[in-house]
Amino acid sequence: MPEVANLPLLDPIFLHKLEQLELVSKKIFVGRMKGERRSKRRGSSVEFADHRNYTSGDDLRHIDWNVYGRLDKLFLKLFLEEEDLHVYTLLDTSLSMDFGDPTKLHYGKQVAAALSFIGLVNNDRVLLDTFSTKLDGGMPSIRGRSQMYRVVHYLDTLKASGGSDLKAAAKSFAIKHTGKGIVVVISDFLDKNGYEDALRYLVARNMDIYVIHVLSREEVDPELAGDLRLVDAEDDDMAEITVSAPLLQRYKATLNAFVGGLKEWCTQRGITYIFTTNDNPFDKLVLNYLRERGLVK
Amino acid sequence: MNNLGPIQFATPLGGLAWAILAGVPVGIIALYFLKLRRHPVQVPSTLLWRRSLEDLHVNSLFQRLRRNLLLFLQLLTIAFVMLALLGPRLKGTTGQGQRYVLAIDNSASMSATDITPSRLEKAKEEARKVVETMTGNDLAMIISFSDKARVVSNYTGNRSELTRRIDSVTPTEAPTSLREALQVAAGLANPSKMVEGVAATSIVTPELKIYTDGGFADVDGFSLGNLKPEVFVIGPKPPAYVATSPDADTRSKRNASDNVAILALQARRNDEKTDLFEVFGRAHNYRAVAVATEARLLRHDPANPKAEPTLIDAIALAIPAQSDQSFKFDLPDTGLAELEVRIDVKDALALDNRAFTLVGSPRKARVLVISEGNRYLNDTWKTPLAEQRAEVTMITPDAAKAEGSTRAVAAGNYDLVIYDGTRPDQPPEANALYFGAFPPGPAFEKPKDLDQPAILDWNVAHPLMQYVRDLSTIRILKAQTVDPPPGSTTLIETNGGPIAFVTPRSGFVDAVIGFPLMVNREFNTDWPLKVSFPLFLANALEVMGNARESLGEETHAPGLPVTLRVESLGDSIEVADPSGKNLTVKRSPQGSFIYQNADVTGLYNASWPNQGRLPFAVNLFDIRESDLSVRGLAPDGAPEALEESYKIKIGYNPVQGTQKTVSARNDWWWLLATFALIVVLLEWYIYNRRVYI
Repeated sequence: MPEVANLPLLDPIFLHKLEQLELVSKKIFVGRMKGERRSKRRGSSVEFADHRNYTSGDDLRHIDWNVYGRLDKLFLKLFLEEEDLHVYTLLDTSLSMDFGDPTKLHYGKQVAAALSFIGLVNNDRVLLDTFSTKLDGGMPSIRGRSQMYRVVHYLDTLKASGGSDLKAAAKSFAIKHTGKGIVVVISDFLDKNGYEDALRYLVARNMDIYVIHVLSREEVDPELAGDLRLVDAEDDDMAEITVSAPLLQRYKATLNAFVGGLKEWCTQRGITYIFTTNDNPFDKLVLNYLRERGLVK
Repeated sequence: MNNLGPIQFATPLGGLAWAILAGVPVGIIALYFLKLRRHPVQVPSTLLWRRSLEDLHVNSLFQRLRRNLLLFLQLLTIAFVMLALLGPRLKGTTGQGQRYVLAIDNSASMSATDITPSRLEKAKEEARKVVETMTGNDLAMIISFSDKARVVSNYTGNRSELTRRIDSVTPTEAPTSLREALQVAAGLANPSKMVEGVAATSIVTPELKIYTDGGFADVDGFSLGNLKPEVFVIGPKPPAYVATSPDADTRSKRNASDNVAILALQARRNDEKTDLFEVFGRAHNYRAVAVATEARLLRHDPANPKAEPTLIDAIALAIPAQSDQSFKFDLPDTGLAELEVRIDVKDALALDNRAFTLVGSPRKARVLVISEGNRYLNDTWKTPLAEQRAEVTMITPDAAKAEGSTRAVAAGNYDLVIYDGTRPDQPPEANALYFGAFPPGPAFEKPKDLDQPAILDWNVAHPLMQYVRDLSTIRILKAQTVDPPPGSTTLIETNGGPIAFVTPRSGFVDAVIGFPLMVNREFNTDWPLKVSFPLFLANALEVMGNARESLGEETHAPGLPVTLRVESLGDSIEVADPSGKNLTVKRSPQGSFIYQNADVTGLYNASWPNQGRLPFAVNLFDIRESDLSVRGLAPDGAPEALEESYKIKIGYNPVQGTQKTVSARNDWWWLLATFALIVVLLEWYIYNRRVYI
């Protein structure tokens, strides 16, 4: 592991900046606790939304007695309910993430920590899950700023291991988490079985999905030369290549097709796709890039 | 270009070596396609690479080959290396080895700096070029020649050794004699000669390449045999031909050259003022323009030979173009003095701008005359000249037999002993002159009597007969003759045989006159009445008496042995050369000291115990060596009819000189090897800098 991995995941200046932000969801979710987020779901809060006719069984406490006095009809007062948001983060910890300087995994941890912090600050329910060949245990859901240390501690203990099986992980994830909310998938998506099935499980859950596609600089612009035997870090697959200009051109074309294909697939299904490399400072990604894409405000 | 001929190949490799070599490119290609040398690299995933390779697999063979740029560069490298090993060359000799005899002139004139760095360096460079063009079977030998030839290297094919030997040729200050070099070369061109185990076969005629500036006389009466001489003229090109009147001899006037030289220097006592010495000399200007300079007379301090000499006198010289100018210094007699004359001109040859001489140290000849009282013989020694030059002792034959006299003669106390009609039992330890008697020895035991012999001829070239002209008029009553022993020189020839001759005897000289001057107080001949008689005796004193008025009368040329007449009884003397280096010279079997190392000009100093000292001067004084104009090249525009006159004549073959040099770099292997190196560097660059095509 490079030295960068031992650095603190978040520094205080960055944390301060994060406090200014708030997670935003494009969809309305039903929260289990009242958070600071207004929900389209009408409920019991102070903010008036509408009236509706009384039907038997409604809570008498919500009857608008003033209207009854004027119109002699029973109406219920409806309020916008403030809900709490579930923020799921699904981080890829397979061996392929353990490359680059800083490693893609470290980069992913930083992004996950930042998003978790934003969630905690806004009193959202934060869940962290990791996966490699399968979905790992993950961290129990937490809420409140005071729990941030747990996030950091959890992320710090993560080590890259195993191959990546996106499909199995997504399937387990979908079964495990029935609630709706935001799910942020941080991965390099270098899965030889493809990413489509995996994302379909998530899409089927009707979650607000964000895909953060992390690649290392070496993958985007390989600095290889000569006759090489490339060894896959996850499955020890070997590919013999002789580096030449056409091969490098071909590789870049393939990479572009891969990235473009993932982006297109996501966009068509309402998934927000964000591509980044490990040399793009993660705080910039969180503060500027995610804000533009609507993940934070 | 003249040397663009068909390309030839000369490879030292055999068939097996080539077969192995041919396997190298095959091996390289095999290694490439077997991909044995792949470097493993771990990557996050081979997913994208696999997809890229799948796309590439569709591509053609060209694509595959283009990938292997490094393979191509390696194949190119090996191709260049193989071509280099083939040893391609432009002009060259094949199979049968050529024999070269490279004769390099290292005489004094080759030190001239009119071509940079010097003529000798240029000659060596040209010779090295020939060595560089030699192929495997060629043999070469190196001869350097000045007044004598020296074999610098025997026949060998080792080119680095030859180059080293050529480098070892150093300039001398001796005159040039091509004859010696030719004799050495001709001896080695002899087909039966075996040199270093290699037989110079009769099929191969050695090529004799002579590197010289032509500063020597034509070699007459020498047969070149099967030698093919080629003369490379080292020096500036002669100026273009200027037509002169048809009857003018074009050879009488040499071309101008950049040199001013002292061609003669001598020191002598002034005849009128005997307390004065005259140092006189002659300077020659070889330039086409007049030269104004000065001659400086300097005195060396014998006690401190390394110190700068002190200036005594100077004379302004104005020497017209290509002519002589004499100069003279007067010097009071201060005993033995070592002198040098310098002319301060910056020219191409520095060594002839200095000349050396000596004054003082006169020596009288010690003469013993054993005679019954011949008045004519005795009176000759009473002239002022004889008194000045000789200490003469006259005794009778009876007195000569006394013990004191015989011991003095045997001890070498005399330079010259004259026996008048008497014969010693033992030859004296001195030169001897016999009148009417023969030296002791078996060769003279049986003389033949002659009655009134008629003188037919006499040897005017011999120094004893200098100025002797009237012998045809003298009459002789009785004489005796013998067959002169081997090595003798006949002085006077009569109808009955030689009656006067000179014969060497272990370091001394015996001169024998086969007739007595007087017999029983009667004239046997009228020679004592003729003017030639005292002249003959004066010559005898001069030649055999070892007398000298001043050391400056003797002069020695560099490279020649110097016979030193020293008054030492020891067996060895020390001789210091101009650089101050000492050499011990042993007495030769003949009793004299012969110094062989007078190779450079300057002042030498022989010394022996008890403060004995004999300096001597060595000077070039060679009109031909100082003349730096080259010979053997016809000037531009010379009419064809005159071309013959410019050639150097060796025996009966006129040889045309050339300045065309051998193209030394006709080997190509180094070029190909350089290409190979460049390709390797390019490959390295591509590999490291990730240049792609």
